[in-house]
Amino acid sequence: MLSTGLYEDFPTLKMKINGKRIVYLDSAATTLKPKQVVKKLEEFYYNSYANVHRAVHTLAVRATTEFEETREEFAEFLGASPEEIIFTSGTTMAINLAVVSLLRSGILKEDDLVLVSLLEHHANFVPWLRLSKFHGYRIDFIRPSGRFGTLEMDDLLKHRDKNPKVVAITGLSNVTGQRIPVEELRNVFPNSIILLDGAQLIPHEPVKPKEIGVDFLAFSLHKMLGPTGVGVLYGKREVLEQMEPFLYGGEMIDRVSLEDVTFNELPYKFEAGTPNIADIVASREALRYLKETGFDSVHEKIEQLTQMALKEMMKIGGVEIYGPLDERQHGIVSFNVKGIHPHDVAHILDQEFGIAVRSGHHCAQPLMSILKEQSQIDFPNSTCRASFYIYNTEEDVKILVEGVKKVKEWFSR
Amino acid sequence: MVFKMMYSEAILDYANSKKFRGKLDDATVIEEGKNISCGDEITLYLKVEDGVVKDAKFEGMGCVISQASASLMLERIIGERVEEIFSLIEEAEKMSRGENFDEGKLKNVTLMSDIKNYPARVKCFILAWKTLKEALKKISRP
Repeated sequence: MLSTGLYEDFPTLKMKINGKRIVYLDSAATTLKPKQVVKKLEEFYYNSYANVHRAVHTLAVRATTEFEETREEFAEFLGASPEEIIFTSGTTMAINLAVVSLLRSGILKEDDLVLVSLLEHHANFVPWLRLSKFHGYRIDFIRPSGRFGTLEMDDLLKHRDKNPKVVAITGLSNVTGQRIPVEELRNVFPNSIILLDGAQLIPHEPVKPKEIGVDFLAFSLHKMLGPTGVGVLYGKREVLEQMEPFLYGGEMIDRVSLEDVTFNELPYKFEAGTPNIADIVASREALRYLKETGFDSVHEKIEQLTQMALKEMMKIGGVEIYGPLDERQHGIVSFNVKGIHPHDVAHILDQEFGIAVRSGHHCAQPLMSILKEQSQIDFPNSTCRASFYIYNTEEDVKILVEGVKKVKEWFSR
Repeated sequence: MVFKMMYSEAILDYANSKKFRGKLDDATVIEEGKNISCGDEITLYLKVEDGVVKDAKFEGMGCVISQASASLMLERIIGERVEEIFSLIEEAEKMSRGENFDEGKLKNVTLMSDIKNYPARVKCFILAWKTLKEALKKISRP
């Protein structure tokens, strides 16, 4: 049973779908929001809202203070300094910013090598692939060789002598839930710029970019109880300082003449225009909520639910589960029921059992092709994905397992 | 509930039916359609002579809704004139949006009229019809 506290904090959990209690298993797409975050938005808009960094009046000072305090809190969370925390609209924009700015500043040049893993979400794949067409750098892929898209250490080591300029990789696959050994990246690629897509990892585990030695870390707040439209890009100061801005406009400049401009200091040179002030400020409440719950207990709880789900789902015959199926799998269980399209499975789980799971290719088509190669069923180029977060319970897992069994039964009539 | 409506025996039978499945060697128009969000694909083969669809088949993989929809559609359009099919497409679109439509015209296709209650699945239903529209536009071009 869910503790009353969580029920109170997440009003969505009281919702009924066709008379059934909602079982929300789509947190890898986006999480539910606690009251604290939503309340903060209202409170901030009515009492502290004005544009930031621009005016001297009381409201503007309040807004700027809260905005910069939020940045400081994220800096502390990541073990970084506030100049290294850039607010973006989300992980996608954060990665695009890094790619484009690296190119504009000549850090990433023609004939350089970029290594991208085939586990990536399109957000950390398409920008690298597409811009190579215009800028002539080479691109090579880290191919997972293990069970259903599992990345093994050897898959990384294979590339160590290639001396890539950039390595772009996820910390946790949004399809298989595999947690990548991010601590090893720096050892394997001592001279590369490493960009870690933390969209799935950071909500579960606050890795510190400086401790693991990555140059960039991107993640989104909406996947960790915060509002939509807020992303964080951590960038190592030495790299950010050399980088040309991504967007040009207000706030990011120092002096503008008719000949040229000089740029504002870090991090403002990367934050052109009015930022998403209220959502950023409310993100702080999301971070606080998680810190108060304790990331260790968040991690432990989700680990238990994941392992329980894997164990129970494996018992159902005719269900193919993707990923390593061991302790490396965290928070996500992707599966297919033999002979039934994932859209049908997801639709029936929703309508008959109140279960919200994602079905589709999960913005990871390269990985779908790899799953297809190993699949023992007529692979539909997509999967069902159940994902867990702090408000889920063992009861939710049981309902999912029963639901999948029922769907299978019905279709085999 | 949804199982009774969208996954009835009749709809499942249409989805699993082999009757309209496969390639058509003497097709005069071949059209591919795709649902970007889910990766479902369909290839339509039409044999159109004297402005009439004489035969048709489809290949593809997808959910029950998209497969049943394709079977029902082909069953309905074989033997019809191209101009008439354009109006059938309009009726099918109206049905999927929950607007008033001509049941007498759509006939067998009305088996899936509950699709209007499931907006997330309309794109599954409409894939075959959308692909058909593109195919017919090709031949009706002067």
